[in-house]
Amino acid sequence: MARVNDPELTKTRLHTVVEEMYDRIVKGEPPTMTLPVRTKNNIGFDRKLGVYKYGKKRSTRDATSLGSAKNLLRALHVVEFIEEMIEAGKSSTLREMYYISEGWGLGKFGSQNESNNLAEDLEVVTSCLREDFKLRPEEDGARMIGNITVNELNRRGQWMTINARDDVGDSGYGVPYNVEIEKIELKEHDVNFLMAIETGGMFDRLIENGFDEDYKCGLIHLKGQPARSTRRIIKRMNEEWDLPVVVFLDGDPWSFRIFASIAYGAIKTAHISEYLATPSATYLGITADDILAYDLPADELSKKDIEALNAELSDPRFADGWWQDQINMMLEVGKKAEQQSLAKYGLDFVTDTYLPEKLGEMGLA
Amino acid sequence: MSGIAKKMASNQKQIAISEFFEKNKHFLGFDSLQRSIITAVKEAVDNSLDACEEARILPEIKIKISKVDSKKDILELVAEDNGPGIPQRSIEKVFGQLLFGSRFHAIRQSRGQQGIGITGVVMYSQLTTGKPTNVVSKVASEPTAVSVNIGLDTRKNKAVKSDQDRIIWETDEMALKLHGLKVTTRMKAKYQRGRQSVYQYLRMTSIVNPHAEITFVDPDGEKHHWPRVTERLPRKVDAIKPHPHGIELGQLQRMCRESKDSRLTVFLRQNFSGVSMRAAKELCEASELSITTKPKSMKPDHIRALLEAFQGERLVGGKPIKLLSPPTNCLSPIEEMLIKKGLSKTIDSKFVSTMTRAPTVSHGNPFQVEVGLIFGEGMAADKHVEILRFANRVPLMYQQGGCLLTKAIESVDWRQYGLEQAGGKGVPKGPAAILVHLASTNVQFTSEAKEALSDNEFVFEESRKAMLEMGRGLRKHLEKKKKMAKTREKFELINDILPAIAEKSASILERPVPELAGSITRIMSAVICNESTTWNRETKETDVSITLFNYTSRARSYSILVNWPEKSGAVMTANERGGRKETMGIWGWKIETLDPGQKAEINYSLSNLEKGDWTETEVFFRGSQDVIGATKLDEKMLEEIRNQEKILAEAVVEVGEEENPETQYEPAGVVEGDTNQTTLFGGDN
Ligand SMILES: Nc1ncnc2c1ncn2[C@@H]1O[C@H](COP(=O)(O)OP(=O)(O)O)[C@@H](O)[C@H]1O
Ligand SMILES: [Mg+2]
Repeated sequence: MARVNDPELTKTRLHTVVEEMYDRIVKGEPPTMTLPVRTKNNIGFDRKLGVYKYGKKRSTRDATSLGSAKNLLRALHVVEFIEEMIEAGKSSTLREMYYISEGWGLGKFGSQNESNNLAEDLEVVTSCLREDFKLRPEEDGARMIGNITVNELNRRGQWMTINARDDVGDSGYGVPYNVEIEKIELKEHDVNFLMAIETGGMFDRLIENGFDEDYKCGLIHLKGQPARSTRRIIKRMNEEWDLPVVVFLDGDPWSFRIFASIAYGAIKTAHISEYLATPSATYLGITADDILAYDLPADELSKKDIEALNAELSDPRFADGWWQDQINMMLEVGKKAEQQSLAKYGLDFVTDTYLPEKLGEMGLA
Repeated sequence: MSGIAKKMASNQKQIAISEFFEKNKHFLGFDSLQRSIITAVKEAVDNSLDACEEARILPEIKIKISKVDSKKDILELVAEDNGPGIPQRSIEKVFGQLLFGSRFHAIRQSRGQQGIGITGVVMYSQLTTGKPTNVVSKVASEPTAVSVNIGLDTRKNKAVKSDQDRIIWETDEMALKLHGLKVTTRMKAKYQRGRQSVYQYLRMTSIVNPHAEITFVDPDGEKHHWPRVTERLPRKVDAIKPHPHGIELGQLQRMCRESKDSRLTVFLRQNFSGVSMRAAKELCEASELSITTKPKSMKPDHIRALLEAFQGERLVGGKPIKLLSPPTNCLSPIEEMLIKKGLSKTIDSKFVSTMTRAPTVSHGNPFQVEVGLIFGEGMAADKHVEILRFANRVPLMYQQGGCLLTKAIESVDWRQYGLEQAGGKGVPKGPAAILVHLASTNVQFTSEAKEALSDNEFVFEESRKAMLEMGRGLRKHLEKKKKMAKTREKFELINDILPAIAEKSASILERPVPELAGSITRIMSAVICNESTTWNRETKETDVSITLFNYTSRARSYSILVNWPEKSGAVMTANERGGRKETMGIWGWKIETLDPGQKAEINYSLSNLEKGDWTETEVFFRGSQDVIGATKLDEKMLEEIRNQEKILAEAVVEVGEEENPETQYEPAGVVEGDTNQTTLFGGDN
């Protein structure tokens, strides 16, 4: 799904937020800001888009308590700040905005978390992306290796052509925070599928073993919970090049969530799931049955792990039968295992045996 | 006698004094080097406070301790006061004769009964350093002061004075000292810091003696100052006669022996409190003695029989003899306002809750319990609260755990009042200090050391009740604080945030700034009361201001009531709105119509109070719509206050009517009911 960046549209949408507050005051009512409820109870499957989106539940933040009134005031400051950046052709990090808010008097943020949340709130109500707001996250994007060529607009305004196998070192191509069309063009590729990998150790193991060339694939290091730009570039490659995506993670409840955020959309960003989620992505491993089938060294589930698994059982994104089975099985076994536990059978086991077997099942090798 | 024999004899006498000290050192307070200096300071300060109280002088006490010889642990103590001084002829007796106390036998509340007196200090000094104690005394009627050294002739075992001289005594400010006493003495002792120290003793003393000005220079030269916070001297207390319920055999024997009365009934009527004519006759009847018995000629058996009749063990007509309660005007409570001030001056915190219970009687002894609690910043939140125990205004610094007053604190579930306490028992934790004062004509200790009060169910119950009441004051305060914080937030919202939202949204949209009144009413949708009680330094009055805002969409009508310290003698001035007295300590105003968006103000001042006497006013309302920042008036409570006023007023008329059956003393022990309580509104005043 391609997006167009239209600064005027962004401004108009931001103004609707301001208008809501203004009009309420004119009517003699407390000003309000209406936004979708951002919890798992308010996400549902959107058939048309094939991803999970926020449902109809809305909450109204009204200025009847000091806390929410301050929040509204902050939102106004942020709107004003974004307009200034759009006009000046600048961007800032969320952290910078947090520090800039020091000068906003009563509207200043109490913590960085507040400013991050508010940026998301504004995305949600305006259906814009924070890239449209010229706000950048701190988190760095993914690393990518494989025979994939992109054009990137660099800071001097020149388009550079980069091949993620031939033009990069061992750390691969660094995905920038903005991967929208005005910044990144997907030029060409010679791979059969993309593999997203949770840990740096496993990513480096596959590179060292030459897995990307042997199996003609693109490898992407997620760095734990993937940044928005990581999910977005996977989505674009999947959509524009029609490449299958497999996801290779640790075998624990938190990895299940990572997968859900890649495939179905994250709860926090459900307003932009159609840009970020890759519904056709497949979970490769480590699965609960891998732990048994490969007799992997495993750790006991902690209390937190068990809570997380139970929460997943009632999460609409995991409602399908396969996931329910996996989650229940993990609860039953009471164990979790890391990707790198495959090293029990030697350094090459993962590339020589485990992955070929798994990919074979999926018809990718 | 040969030289050797003489020497031996003198040695023996020397041993007599040292032995006396050795045997009784615990009782005398000289059982350790650390404690000795505290005891010495205590004897001097207690005497100064007692003397000033009797002479109606506001005390100024200066204590200085310095190291003379650190290797040998020799300290010098200088204790100076501005009391009446001691006439030259009495100095020798006061400082050189054991138990020369002037009020040793009088029954009333006084400090002096505790230790052995100042002579003990002189003795200890002499025994440990071989040096006499210097006393400088100036009485107002003489132009010069007398300076004299008092030592003990260990050979003759009696006081000797030396170097007596008349001198001109100048103060530090080079003025002539009008009257006062200064004692300079050296002793073997160790100065220490902490919970059991001279510093802590003086600090505690200053808490219960807010009328005293105390300075202390410690051995490091550091100066500590506890200022006077009230000009009010403690009430003068009257001595009372012993009550038959509180007397012991030895005392009764002595009284009989010394009596010159010719009839037993006269003896009973005149030497005891609470004995009516009828009771005197019945006592004779019960102890099978003739009313014409001469007390002086009574046999031990007779005396024992009389004691049994006193204690209700001998009956008349199958009943114990009814005696009247002893009078309670022999007690001198510190009283709530002064406890509050005393606590606030040594502990820097905002909230103090106090409670002075009405005097009552246990086993013929009048007693009264007072408690105070200070709460808030400046104290450790995760530690046990500090316990400050006092008996007759004397700090108790040792044996905290075994003391009745501590047990009473431990028996209260402080969790309901906002303090932490494991299992609802024991010493609570939190940023607070709890003060307990027992005023009594007969304080009973667990041991001779006189540091912990022994168990007494009446005193325990009174202390517990006092603390429960005080705890309610704390809870109310905390609730009020929470409410106030909420109200403050709302005001910040409508005064600062909402206008900012209006301006910013208007400027982004490039439209005019909208009118706010409508939104404000909707946001607040309440009537809000703001109260401020502040000390006005210029007028020396306490200014109270109450503002009522109507942030609802309808006109409102209210009666607003406040509490004020009428009983403590405050006078209400500059009250332009007028209003009327609802009852003792409660004033009310009618606010006929308060239109939406409007505010009403009530202002008045309280004179005849000192700074810190009144810092928080409680506001009540009558009306249908709730008022944030005020409490709905409980009409039953108001009725209760009115009733108590009536009872008290009637009681005043009855004073002196000895045989009034209503005030008959019940042998069970305690006068029930809370009629005389000074705090009706939770004790946080
Ligand atoms: N600082 C003082 N100023 C005036 N009189 C004093 C002072 N110290 C002691 N006295 C007098 O000396 C008496 C004896 O004191 P003391 O030996 O300490 O016994 P007590 O304090 O028990 O009466 C006191 O009762 C008081 O009359
Ligand atoms: Mg004394």
